[in-house]
Amino acid sequence: MSSDPPDFSNVKSGGSSKSPVSNDSPDFSNVQSGGSSTATKVYVVKSGDSLSKIAKAEYGDGNAWNQIFEANKDILKDPNKIYPGQKLKIPPK
Amino acid sequence: MNNTTRFLALALVALGLAACKKDAPPAPAPAPAPSAPAPAPAPAGVSVSSATLGSAVGADKKVSAPKETFAKGDTIYVAVDTAGSGTANLKARWTFTAKDGKTVPVKEDTQTIQATGPSTTEFHISKPDGWPLGDYQVEVMQDDKVVQTKKFSVK
Repeated sequence: MSSDPPDFSNVKSGGSSKSPVSNDSPDFSNVQSGGSSTATKVYVVKSGDSLSKIAKAEYGDGNAWNQIFEANKDILKDPNKIYPGQKLKIPPK
Repeated sequence: MNNTTRFLALALVALGLAACKKDAPPAPAPAPAPSAPAPAPAPAGVSVSSATLGSAVGADKKVSAPKETFAKGDTIYVAVDTAGSGTANLKARWTFTAKDGKTVPVKEDTQTIQATGPSTTEFHISKPDGWPLGDYQVEVMQDDKVVQTKKFSVK
């Protein structure tokens, strides 16, 4: 009589599950959004921002950065130097 | 009448004239300008007056085609009208109502505005692969307080 333990090394396993919640919780992770105003908006500069990037996001046109620069000449001396936390006025397009 | 008497008479007349001049009533004050109606007091700060749903907005940011039932491929807009002047933090919180009644977050966006009078601010959402059918709502918040709630559906 052998005392060796049985060999389970070739056992295959798997499984699947369907969460009951999945039907009721659609995926909204790819929702795109935006907004604009007839009033002057205030934009708080984030790390990595540039005026052209902000213009692209706010106006849909990165070349409109000068419009933002002109509206903020009281606080911006150089359009290439903006800092996180700065509050920029975004005039209506 | 001798000279002395004539002089005294003239002096009395002169004195009388001076007295009359002194007591003459002052020239009437100019009539006051007709009072213009008092200007309406400016609203204190910015306040949200309305919110309108639709699938398109015009250059004035107002909804050009108001509706509350949308198609799967629609971009959904909410146009928020404000009155007054000042700075306000406006937020749109979009949610989906699941079949079990639970609220599922869809998207949340914030715009800070510096209004100098009546203005309109629009928020919009879209989903490239189409909206799940069902009921939704958007809450418009001003400075983190819900000021308007609009329900809509996708069919």
